[in-house]
Amino acid sequence: MDTIFQPLLFGFGPGAIIAALALGLVVSYRASGVINFGHGAIATYITYVYISLRDDGRYPIPPLPNPFAPIEGIFGIEIIDFPTFIGAPGEGLTFWPALLLSLSTAGLLGIIIHLAVFRPLRYAPTLAKVVASVGIMLMLQAAVVLRFGSRARQSPEIFPAEPVDFFGVRIGQDRFWLLGTVIVTTLVLWGVSRYTRFGVATRAAAENERFATLLGFNADVQAGVSWIVASMLAGLFGILVSPITGATPNFFTLLVVTSLGAALLGSMSSFWIAALAGIGLGMADQLLFRIELDWTWVPDIGIRRALPFLVIAAAMVLRGETMPSRGAVIAERLPDAFAPALTRWRKVLYLAFVTLSLTIVVFAPFEFRSGMQNSMIGVILALSAVIVTGYVGQISLMQMALAGVSAFAVASFGTEAGMPLPLALVLAIAASIAFGLIAALPSLRTRGASLAIITLASGLAIDEIFFQRPGWFGLARTNKSSDAPSLFGIEFGPSSPFVIGDDKIPTPSFGVFVLVMTVLSCIAVMRLRRSRLGQQMLAVRVNERAAAAAGINVAAVKLAAFGLSSAFAGLGGALTAFKLGTYGADSFGIFSSLNVLAFSYLGGIATVGGAVTAGTLFAEGIGIVASNEWIYDVGSYTAYTAGLFLIGTAVYNNEGIDGFQRNQFHGLVNIVRRRRGLGPLDPKATTNG
Amino acid sequence: MASEPSAHDVVLQTRGLSVTFGGLTAVNEVDLDCRAGQLTGLIGPNGAGKTTFIDAVTGFLPNNATGHVELDGTDVFGRPPHTLAHLGLTRTWQTLELFDDITVRENLTVASEPLRLRDFAQDFFRPRKVPDRVEEVITLLDFEDIADRKPRELSQGQRKMVGVGRALTAPDTRVLLLDEPAAGLDKSETEWFGDQLRSLVDGGVSMLLIDHDMGLVLRVCDRIHTLVFGELIASGTPTEIRSNPEVVRAYLGSGEI
Repeated sequence: MDTIFQPLLFGFGPGAIIAALALGLVVSYRASGVINFGHGAIATYITYVYISLRDDGRYPIPPLPNPFAPIEGIFGIEIIDFPTFIGAPGEGLTFWPALLLSLSTAGLLGIIIHLAVFRPLRYAPTLAKVVASVGIMLMLQAAVVLRFGSRARQSPEIFPAEPVDFFGVRIGQDRFWLLGTVIVTTLVLWGVSRYTRFGVATRAAAENERFATLLGFNADVQAGVSWIVASMLAGLFGILVSPITGATPNFFTLLVVTSLGAALLGSMSSFWIAALAGIGLGMADQLLFRIELDWTWVPDIGIRRALPFLVIAAAMVLRGETMPSRGAVIAERLPDAFAPALTRWRKVLYLAFVTLSLTIVVFAPFEFRSGMQNSMIGVILALSAVIVTGYVGQISLMQMALAGVSAFAVASFGTEAGMPLPLALVLAIAASIAFGLIAALPSLRTRGASLAIITLASGLAIDEIFFQRPGWFGLARTNKSSDAPSLFGIEFGPSSPFVIGDDKIPTPSFGVFVLVMTVLSCIAVMRLRRSRLGQQMLAVRVNERAAAAAGINVAAVKLAAFGLSSAFAGLGGALTAFKLGTYGADSFGIFSSLNVLAFSYLGGIATVGGAVTAGTLFAEGIGIVASNEWIYDVGSYTAYTAGLFLIGTAVYNNEGIDGFQRNQFHGLVNIVRRRRGLGPLDPKATTNG
Repeated sequence: MASEPSAHDVVLQTRGLSVTFGGLTAVNEVDLDCRAGQLTGLIGPNGAGKTTFIDAVTGFLPNNATGHVELDGTDVFGRPPHTLAHLGLTRTWQTLELFDDITVRENLTVASEPLRLRDFAQDFFRPRKVPDRVEEVITLLDFEDIADRKPRELSQGQRKMVGVGRALTAPDTRVLLLDEPAAGLDKSETEWFGDQLRSLVDGGVSMLLIDHDMGLVLRVCDRIHTLVFGELIASGTPTEIRSNPEVVRAYLGSGEI
């Protein structure tokens, strides 16, 4: 009895935070139609603020990158000591002042998120909203790590923890307090939504925003209030649960995936189902944990870690399309999938660009060579995002997990099983494709944000089941090694000798190999854009119903996109494996997947040019190396600024850097043409398919 | 189905087609014929179930529709929309739903043929030419000047024609279902649009035109069906429909005639 009952009771702790996050997700979804991937990160950030206040009474402000830093970097001076705390270190605050100050911060964060991000995105396509919320997740996560470090923190007791006897199980009474708080919160939310004018108005707005506005409800105010409530809920429960679970930068942040499962079971609209499912998931998690620990005869295949994924997949298959889509008007366009006509000038331009890249790859100093190799691999990873997200409008948050599958597989097939390079590479890429397709299957009946959720859950599951556990890829939390790639007896790994140069690692031979792969990949994706399949992808992206009526097999096109995208992710992963030589699960974790989306969107999600731009931005890429060498060491701020810029791109310029440059260039061309008495640039010359 | 002894064979027919949403019957046991080479009209006041009827015929309401839909004598009811399009049953949308990201020519091209794996592989190495069918439609509808522009750069009337063109480009269009194509057009545009449709039909295309613009339908259609509250209340030539007391009553009731 004890073995089953005890873990179920222990599950109240994690269950409470899962339920509370699920409630917050439902609140903000009902009010603004946004699924906030950053919701867990809000809980993390507020919990750390609270712990910091309890520890030494100082109020931490987020690590704003010092705006003067580039100038300081160039001139080697310090202009201003940028503040990161309010107040002097001293005695920690007591519970209530610390709680109130933390929750005010949460409310402030909520209203900022509403006003600066989701209010401007009201009429934007789902893609932009999801990308912005991923930006919030990345930025807050990075803020926590920068601000408070990545070590776990303890939090002082809030509810009395003395154990009580409950049907023969001794368990801390704080569990019951937490459970009670969750139930009371659910009751209040349900009552407000059901019986007050505010709740009715919010529900009306969720059905049809325009109609609700006509009836005199101010949907904007409701959304703002709901964001404040959602953030404060996240913060409150993060704080209340922290004495039991402790605080780590990732725990609450990634718990958003499990909470999404709970919220989805309640169709993103039922508070009771979301809360009960959340508590149930917490209990199931503890139960499975105990089963895996105690019952050694149960095969250890990682069911527990797959739980969120399984719940989300089940919710999607069971509920299909029933997740309510809001009746808001979508007026804004998706990023332009610009495909330039291949004029002679353009070919010369491309050739010049490749030659320049080759020059850097061969002749540049080793740190630039390394940066260039990372960037070129980044281009291939970004291309994988361009296909699935840019061309078909489906958001994948698991690209690095797919890359990881290939990275581990290429070592298994090549180095360990001794297969020759082309075969090992093809098999590794096939493994990525298989994983990508399996993960995409449950989402074929749904679209938009649902896909982002399922891929986030899949990415996490792949990481935890396959990369972080012994077994499947024989990884066992240790690192894996991959030999240098070789063909016809010629080695071209990062340490293979090259005819010229300083022989420092990485040598140019690997760079040349990566360059060839990158150029081929770019050509393939440009071809894809112009092919019939590419046109069908863009048709599916705009309107699935109309695409089906025009004879397009929507499910097949989506699967093709996922397959192709996974193939490029796999290629990128295998190249990463060669580049690193020895690597572990860290290189392919969930946040690196989010980064792939962030950089790709920033560069320009719907064009090959955008992917190339994205490549320069990738961590340890050529852009970062150059910046470190010549301007300013962005180093630790990369993730933080990536998140910030990702939000900015989603809100203000969804075309990314590539589209921005293109529009500037076309503007310039048109000015010149007007001066010469010519008409504006003929669209024929630029948009011919 | 036995072909009728008329000069115009029935290309599309529905038998007992019903659509229910929950307890509400939106379309009730509709038997309707479209003859080859003719422009068939389907009129009815707002809310009569006209668009629901098209949605059901083109496979967009798999869970709500019952009955039979026969295309050239084969029962195609229950097949998914893209398969129906390949069989030659295509449609336009009241809200147009063009693919705004790609050019007019690409809009037509995506609809022109089912994608086979072989073609897809071939596209990578040597992109194929635009199919002849697409160029034919471009010539037929005088799209030469707009073929390389994107739909959002065009006038509303042109956009409507692109919608028709896209439905026409399907590999073997048997019958075209037009859902209120004249909505949002002014009087002269509507007239121009009607003439375009008529000339397409005279060139051999079969169409079902849904509209509540009585003037347009009466002017261009060969036969007209009238749908009121989900029931077919009258069928006949424009002259017969014009003088049918039930139709007049239904329309007088809604004040549209």
